Amino acid sequence: MFANADGRHFDHYQTLHERFESLGATELDEKRRLVENGFLEQGITFTVYGDDQGTERIFPFDLIPRIIPDHEWQLIEKGLTQRILALNLFLHDIYHERNIIKDGLVPEDVVVGAAHYRPEMVGVDVPQDIYIHICGTDLIRNGEGRYLVLEDNGRCPSGVSYLLENREAMKRAFPGMYRQYRVRPVDNYPELLLKTLQNLCPRPGQTPVCALLTPGVYNSAYFEHTFLARKMGIEIVEGSDLIAIDGYVYMRTTKGLVQVDVIYRRLDDDFLDPTVFREDSVLGVPGIIDAYLRGNVALANAVGTGVADDKVTYAFVPDMIRYYLDQDPILENVPTYLAWREDDRKFILENLEKLVVKAANESGGYGMLMGPTSTSKEREEFAAKIRRNPRNFIAQPVVSLSRHPTICDERQIEGRHVDLRPFILYGKNIEIIPGGLTRVALRKGSLVVNSSQGGGSKDTWVLYR
Amino acid sequence: MLSRVANSLYWLSRYLERAENLARLVDVNRYDALDAADTGKEDSDTLWRPLLYATCSEEVYNAAKTAKDDLDVGWFITFSPNNPDSIRQSVAQARENARMARDQISEEMWLELNSIHLFLQSAKAERLWRRQPESFYREIIKFCLLFEGLIDATILQDEGWNFIQAGKYLERADKTTRVLDMLAFMGDPDRGKLASALRSCSGFSAFRDEFRSDFTSRNVMSFLLFSQSFPRSVRFCLRQLDRHLHAISGTPEDAYSNEAERLTGSALAQLNFSSVDNVWAAGQHQYIDGLQKQFNDIGQNIFETYVLLPSEIRSVTRQEAWQLQWQQQQQQQQ
Repeated sequence: MFANADGRHFDHYQTLHERFESLGATELDEKRRLVENGFLEQGITFTVYGDDQGTERIFPFDLIPRIIPDHEWQLIEKGLTQRILALNLFLHDIYHERNIIKDGLVPEDVVVGAAHYRPEMVGVDVPQDIYIHICGTDLIRNGEGRYLVLEDNGRCPSGVSYLLENREAMKRAFPGMYRQYRVRPVDNYPELLLKTLQNLCPRPGQTPVCALLTPGVYNSAYFEHTFLARKMGIEIVEGSDLIAIDGYVYMRTTKGLVQVDVIYRRLDDDFLDPTVFREDSVLGVPGIIDAYLRGNVALANAVGTGVADDKVTYAFVPDMIRYYLDQDPILENVPTYLAWREDDRKFILENLEKLVVKAANESGGYGMLMGPTSTSKEREEFAAKIRRNPRNFIAQPVVSLSRHPTICDERQIEGRHVDLRPFILYGKNIEIIPGGLTRVALRKGSLVVNSSQGGGSKDTWVLYR
Repeated sequence: MLSRVANSLYWLSRYLERAENLARLVDVNRYDALDAADTGKEDSDTLWRPLLYATCSEEVYNAAKTAKDDLDVGWFITFSPNNPDSIRQSVAQARENARMARDQISEEMWLELNSIHLFLQSAKAERLWRRQPESFYREIIKFCLLFEGLIDATILQDEGWNFIQAGKYLERADKTTRVLDMLAFMGDPDRGKLASALRSCSGFSAFRDEFRSDFTSRNVMSFLLFSQSFPRSVRFCLRQLDRHLHAISGTPEDAYSNEAERLTGSALAQLNFSSVDNVWAAGQHQYIDGLQKQFNDIGQNIFETYVLLPSEIRSVTRQEAWQLQWQQQQQQQQ
């Protein structure tokens, strides 16, 4: 463990290795209990779906931190910066000039056929010309130790609160080790986020009134919503707390209505405004899109960013980087086959048992086929789905995610597969907090790291040089 | 402050006040039941019935009892999931409201509330209750008092705090009248019953200071309704409620700017200028019932003034709207 393929220790894990070796079973249990009780008592929980009343669980936490040395982090940072720039240029382009389509790099079908494409946004200028203000990009490391992008989450990525709370927990459990390692802090994220939001204020010369729009207490990420609102010192609102009148959005307070300038919405486009999108939405605010299009209220992220994190669009991101920035991509994609391309579809259908098939618009590990572990019945079902709606499916080879030492049952330290979700903020500048949410597949051999499917997380340490 | 948040803070505090009062009531009643069992004077039904009456849970209890014959009243009031006002449910409701107003309460408040909630949901709670009920109820009461202290010591004493206080005093006034109604229900309570009623309101020693152990129905009634300085008397509670409502709206104390303030002022004036003779003239139960109706109106009007906008009468019923909301809330995830 803590070693590369040749069995040699990574230098940066040496101290950690010694520390964990020296811990007795009781001590380890104690530390773990300390951390878990802390999470439970503070209500740092998520809600499991499929359960009629929404049971609360803590997000399983592994005590062994993941360490990213400075030189690796610099590369990640550069790669992510490049990527968010390209994605934003792409979004501006497809809702305005459509040069990338005219120049034949991305087929029109891919854009307008994306489930989250919003024709309402065509020709609309968004504040500061930024669409994705908050992005969570999932990275993995392949067998050679290279970081690859697995997907971009450019709608309402979640997980940042766990990142921050994991850090708090680790600092409490292993204060000495933390100090020894010279870990870069992450706790200024809420301030950076607030600045990112304030940057969008449509009323100049005014202290911006920002609010976080949550779907409500039964949403799995509700803890995160309150956490961020509290740390930023802004109101957390539900749809029914807001009211749109004559193109302006107001909060309903005990002292009357208060105009809102910027809304960090953690609600999908579909639910934002029943007069424009889903009519049956009870979470949204009737008239909010009108106010948004008139430029009287800013939304982060912008409406319509879902085209950019569509899994088919994903396959084109390296091309976008070349096209808009005239640079080579620093972080590569995982090779991706698109079912709507005839050759690719043929290949996918012939190789289902070797591939991971994903629906283009699902998240949270739903709507996925894991080829190697699937049954022939599942494969048949997926094949039928792919034939029926090729636009909606992509396939990727199974990447052997890197494994990371993790404390497993019986207190054995074993390797488990991990990924990494860093969070990128695009305001006046592009800021990436050093670290990210490392998710770990706790089941042996499993490659699925989603919390809803048996995943846990680790603290992620980016070191000072 | 957001209207919804104000509403959550108000209910957070009402539910905890409710839990605290229930814990006292059941504990005192349980203690009395011990005495009665020794002398064999009364069967447990007669003993517990006033308690069900005072907590307005006779109907739910009877419904639950048809399903389960040996349903223990103490357990029912403390834990039953079928009883929406049980201690366990009240604390769970308080926590749900705290969750919705998490950004307005202190870390300490949340931690304490969440741990008592987790405790009440655990098997440990029922074990303790079976083995040492008095320790169990003391835990609950202690938590509520601690929480009250945290409210006063760890958050800004601004608008939200005033909503918390308003909720507390309205609930407390209501609970004190329920104890009084229990006495009225018993007709001619003996000294023991009167002492129990006082203990249910933590007013035993305070009463002795004011009335020198002169345990009569009139004195106890007078004390719990009209005492100037006992913090659980109805008059005291209404005076506080009046003060906090005025602090919320910023209206001078001798005027009113909304219906909730007007009704509170009027109920307070009535108590300020009445004596126990008026209670006897009106009939104890009728008098108390009148007060309780006023409390309900005040609560309703606080809601209408600060939470509801007149334009917001929905076509769907609230129940349906909630269910739909619940489903959709779960669908947002990335």
